[in-house]
Amino acid sequence: MRVRLANVRKSFGRHEVVRNLSLDIADGELLVLLGASGCGKTTALRMVAGLETVTAGTIEIGDRDVTHVLPKYRNVAMVFQSYALYPHMTVARNIGYPLKLRGTPAAELDAAVRSAAAKVHLEELLDRYPRQLSGGQRQRVALARAMVRTPSVFLMDEPLSNLDAKLRSAMRAELKRLQSDLGVTTIYVTHDQIEAMTLAHRVAVMDGGVLQQVAPPKEIYDEPANLLVARFIGAPAMNIVAGAMEHGVFRLRDGAVPLGGAAPRASLYLGFRPEDAILAPADAAMLRARIYSTEMTGNETIVTCHLDGEPVVVRADKDFEGAPDSAVGIDLDPAKAVLFDRDTGNRIRR
Amino acid sequence: MTIPERTLLRRLFTAQDLTSMAPAAKVVVYALLLSWLMVVLFPLYWLFITSFKLPVHVNDGPDFLPFIDFKPSGHAWRYIFVELGNDTLRPYLSSVIVASCSTVLCVLIGAFAAYALVRIQYRVKVGNVAAFLLFLAGTVYVIVNLGAPWPVAAAVASVLFVLFATSVGRSFQRSLGNDDILFWIISNRILPPVVVVLPVYLMFQRLGLLDTHVALIATYTAINLPIVVWLMRDFFAGIPVDLEESAQIDGASRFRIFFTIVLPLGRPGLAATSLLILILAWNEYLLALFISTADAQTMPMLVAAQNATRGPQWWYMSVLIVIMIAPIVLTAAMLQRHIARGLMVGAIKG
Repeated sequence: MRVRLANVRKSFGRHEVVRNLSLDIADGELLVLLGASGCGKTTALRMVAGLETVTAGTIEIGDRDVTHVLPKYRNVAMVFQSYALYPHMTVARNIGYPLKLRGTPAAELDAAVRSAAAKVHLEELLDRYPRQLSGGQRQRVALARAMVRTPSVFLMDEPLSNLDAKLRSAMRAELKRLQSDLGVTTIYVTHDQIEAMTLAHRVAVMDGGVLQQVAPPKEIYDEPANLLVARFIGAPAMNIVAGAMEHGVFRLRDGAVPLGGAAPRASLYLGFRPEDAILAPADAAMLRARIYSTEMTGNETIVTCHLDGEPVVVRADKDFEGAPDSAVGIDLDPAKAVLFDRDTGNRIRR
Repeated sequence: MTIPERTLLRRLFTAQDLTSMAPAAKVVVYALLLSWLMVVLFPLYWLFITSFKLPVHVNDGPDFLPFIDFKPSGHAWRYIFVELGNDTLRPYLSSVIVASCSTVLCVLIGAFAAYALVRIQYRVKVGNVAAFLLFLAGTVYVIVNLGAPWPVAAAVASVLFVLFATSVGRSFQRSLGNDDILFWIISNRILPPVVVVLPVYLMFQRLGLLDTHVALIATYTAINLPIVVWLMRDFFAGIPVDLEESAQIDGASRFRIFFTIVLPLGRPGLAATSLLILILAWNEYLLALFISTADAQTMPMLVAAQNATRGPQWWYMSVLIVIMIAPIVLTAAMLQRHIARGLMVGAIKG
């Protein structure tokens, strides 16, 4: 079902955690709320769940205004970061709990539990208690409990963050498949940009309680709406250097980048991704820098240079070798560079 | 490097491995434990053998071993069970009824209160508390000095207070929080309950409830309630709030959450608290002395009654105490396995 947040605000006392959040989530969409801790993403999710009151604004699920509706009447299912399994119930009773509360007949409940358990490969473990399960299995129980009753919306609060790295990427793929099979609208909160990029139909980046940008992952990556998004997305993040546009050329102290079509302007930031630049001999390149350090990761080498005293990261071939403090040139693809206004931080050119 | 010499002395003071104690330490620890065991068990042993002694064996000075120092006799048991018969059974039943009913009531009400204090934030206006006291004083004045019928006066005052609290009361600023409420509740136990024995006596006299089980149950429930609230609050605070939020979203009401999630998880605390309250109610003497005279007399009174004009009848007392201790020991043994910790394992993370 469609979920719509209109001008939603949330304050705890004088502290405003979510500011004027408006989001329209389509039926069957997987929207990821992405941001650093304390950015208000979890509060936003909890407001949709009904666990937090809304200070101002409205929340709709389907065509129904649920702003002041109790959680139990919203027909949402939530997966908590901590899984929140009931430790005194077996796996089967954990999964069946939402149905039991609805007075589902025993036979029907049993069938639903079995089918939900089958979707996450838990059939063998139905009689165990949560304490007898591994972290990954607990995670699956939490998922099965959410799926057992076909809710209007899935709400997921960092569901993978307690798993180890290998299990996390496996569960990520599984989650994505499950969501698209079930076709249930999902709001997924995470601080992990890889999760956001890989899972989302659209990513909503939040910072300081303010929604910065909502767009498909590729657009978020290629065309960040402002400096906050640009700096947050990508590992290593986008390089940002200060300079000015003069006669179709972006000029900085140690070099210049030809950017046809951009209007002259004094204070600007130029942003480019580490993979959109290449290292070149110092005297022939657009930008002149010094190598600060090199890190070989296996399939590539991450080279950190100092340009105008600012660190700039370039992805180089894995065989690249360069001594620290040696001079190096950087060439970048002007078509992929973006410009930001230095005062507002907003992107002004692709 | 030289290998340290394994002298006998050294071996005595060195542990064999990481998980065991040095032999010397073992001896000391077990000696201490054994002596403490003696301290605990000897009085019980003494009680038990005294119940089988003739007055002459008690008075002639310490006889320790049955069959050797003295010939056991069942005369005291016969007296208590055959000659006294119903006069033993009645107080025994009284004790069972009063202690069990007051424990159940006390733990149930106390658990509700403790849970509310953990999960709901109350803001009681200081002005309203003061107003309540003023209305109360006014009502008492009107009833006592102006001769108003008390039901009418109480009803009018209640209505007036509600009107006041919902109108003028809203503008009060200063308020008390949960901690203040909790402190107020526990402060009721700072004075020993016996200081209020006279008002309690008069109250039950007026109500015609003196010497009834109801009076004792009500009194014990009231005086033990603060202890339950205080103890259970900590147990409930230890239950992750995620579990309750998850249950809310799954569709459970507050009462449902309390009975299906919170109480089962608070079981160790409930068991420990129930046992403590049961023992307090079971052994209570001073208040029972005032409130009960014949019909509702409890076991402690019967034990005390054995110290009458003929001097302390140690043999009868011992029999009574043995049969008085028995149910408590049994209950403690039964509750023992519930008091075991570790119930929360598996609820969150891993």
